[in-house]
Amino acid sequence: MKIPRISTQTLVVLERFIERPASWRYGYELSRETGLKSGTLYPILMRLAKFSLLETKWVTTEDGVPPRHTYRLTAKGAELARAQQATSPSAAHAAARRRPAFSRGKA
Amino acid sequence: MPADWPRALAILLLRFGIWIAPHDTLDWGHGMLSELNHVEGNWSALIWAFGGAGVLAKHAMLALVLPGSHRRTASSASELFAKEIPMRKPALAVIASCVVASLLFFLAPVFRQAFRVSLAQWHEVLHVDRWLADTETGPELDALAKKAEQNRDPEGLAFVANRHPNQTQRARFADEAVHLDPNLTWIYGVAGIAYLSPSEIDRRISLLKQWEPEDALPHLLAADKIGVRVTYSKEFPQGKLEENPAWEKEMSAAFQSPKLDTYRDRQKQLDQRVLSRYRIDDPFQATASEDWYGFPSYGIWGCSRYAQLLLESGQTLESRGDRKAASEKYWEVAHFGQMMGDGAGITFFMRENMKDAYGRLGALSQMEGNNAAAAFYTSLADQFDKAVDKRRLLLDNRIQGSDVSHWNAFLVRLSGLVMLFCTALLLLCGLGVVIRNRSLKLGSLHPSRATLALGFSAAVGSLLSSAILFVSYRPYAELLQRSLSKGDDTQLFELSAFLRDTQLPIGSQFNLGPGSWYVGSSRVVFYFWLALTILCALAFLIAVLRHFHHRTRANATI
Repeated sequence: MKIPRISTQTLVVLERFIERPASWRYGYELSRETGLKSGTLYPILMRLAKFSLLETKWVTTEDGVPPRHTYRLTAKGAELARAQQATSPSAAHAAARRRPAFSRGKA
Repeated sequence: MPADWPRALAILLLRFGIWIAPHDTLDWGHGMLSELNHVEGNWSALIWAFGGAGVLAKHAMLALVLPGSHRRTASSASELFAKEIPMRKPALAVIASCVVASLLFFLAPVFRQAFRVSLAQWHEVLHVDRWLADTETGPELDALAKKAEQNRDPEGLAFVANRHPNQTQRARFADEAVHLDPNLTWIYGVAGIAYLSPSEIDRRISLLKQWEPEDALPHLLAADKIGVRVTYSKEFPQGKLEENPAWEKEMSAAFQSPKLDTYRDRQKQLDQRVLSRYRIDDPFQATASEDWYGFPSYGIWGCSRYAQLLLESGQTLESRGDRKAASEKYWEVAHFGQMMGDGAGITFFMRENMKDAYGRLGALSQMEGNNAAAAFYTSLADQFDKAVDKRRLLLDNRIQGSDVSHWNAFLVRLSGLVMLFCTALLLLCGLGVVIRNRSLKLGSLHPSRATLALGFSAAVGSLLSSAILFVSYRPYAELLQRSLSKGDDTQLFELSAFLRDTQLPIGSQFNLGPGSWYVGSSRVVFYFWLALTILCALAFLIAVLRHFHHRTRANATI
């Protein structure tokens, strides 16, 4: 599938992923780090997954707590993120200026 | 209220979002829901849920518009969240129950009547030139006219003559009725005269005068005919009606007549007999004569004008010293005003003339030293003054109806509209499911959750609006029944005002008193057709999108 154009918010998300490419990340954790609200973040994650740039997995963290949906870039996704980071570094600055979506909370 | 209600609401919101979401987004929905456990702060949780539910709702709507874009996939979430209760069957059961309950309402004759009344507003929307065309009768009146002609029923024909919108037909039915039963000659005083040729009008007035020589009404009709000619014909200079001897002669004869019968009571009794004989329960037909005062259009205006002439001539005679002749002129006005009050109940329109007449009679009695008579006439003039406000209130109430009637008419129109909308939505959902599954077998129909949610809302809306329609109309059905079975028409004006309101398209209102607003029905009709055109354009756009959506969007943005 041909990779479409990438929006600024998607770049911010990709940058967060590329910081720790091997780690599985939670939705709420990403929301806090990027400052994106759930209504913006999830459509980005869904589209990344649709283009096979992101893989998802359900993990059980502790007993009695419902399993959580986690996300990680695929090899193709990581390659694209690095390429984008090299060509448009401004996204990182934009992300740094962004206000967190939620001021409190644990991830 | 518990402090964590925003979180509880957030969970509900996301669960609903998951319920309507297409299959390939279920994992994401459950993912958002599980993250909710880790969002700290109740309000933050609610904001999180709003965003998530919005995303899921958007996908649900897209799946409805572009069904192929969200294919059923094996869901890992379905394994992890196996405890989720399947909602399809209960939802279908509720939809079916609501539809059946809504249909059961139609078994009640009162509800069928209410539903017909709620549809009256569409006449204005769908027949924009109704008032100009002036030829439509409605199926019930057409059927009655045919039956009355076949049975040679004079009362049935007189009933139709009084309601037919076409003036030529009115005159024809009135002639037939009088031909079959000369006792119905009074129908000429009510219907079948206006807009005919002068010779035809004269013939009918002459018959009416022969039939009831003591009545003032035939003279008023004759004066009315002259008034129309003088006002609209170029052969008479404007504003010289008072100088027309023929008009003055007829008005004089009317004022000197011993009685004034506008045939209103006869007409009501005839209406009642015909409505029960032909088993017509149409409230519009039952109240068709309610707004009729029994006077020709120029009658009230002409009476007031002639009374003013009499008062002026009385004053002239008074100034010449002929008090007796002046007194007779004033008495003529007072006598006719009293007849109007007894017969037609519209003395209100001649109140100033009558007050003047009693005042002048009182002054004349004073001059002649008859203090008792002077006090009596003065008290009559004062009473008249005091009664004005009360009469005005009664008249306003009669013409405009009460606020309760306005609100009930609004509820009837709104519930009728919601019923139609919900029915259309239900049919669209059903049609969509059949087309999508390409089958008519119930077992093989699998509505999506978004379709179920829409169908569920439409079915519940239909049931609720049916109940509201029934409850809002019920009191007026009682008024109608009381009028038809017992002849009690004391509150019929309330039904009449209510029905007048129900004929206006929703969104348009006449003056309801202080703080009310006015929107012309023609503007509402315009907005209705505009909205319909926009909806059709949207539907066309969706059809085009569905046709082309399979093409790869190479230039899309992640």
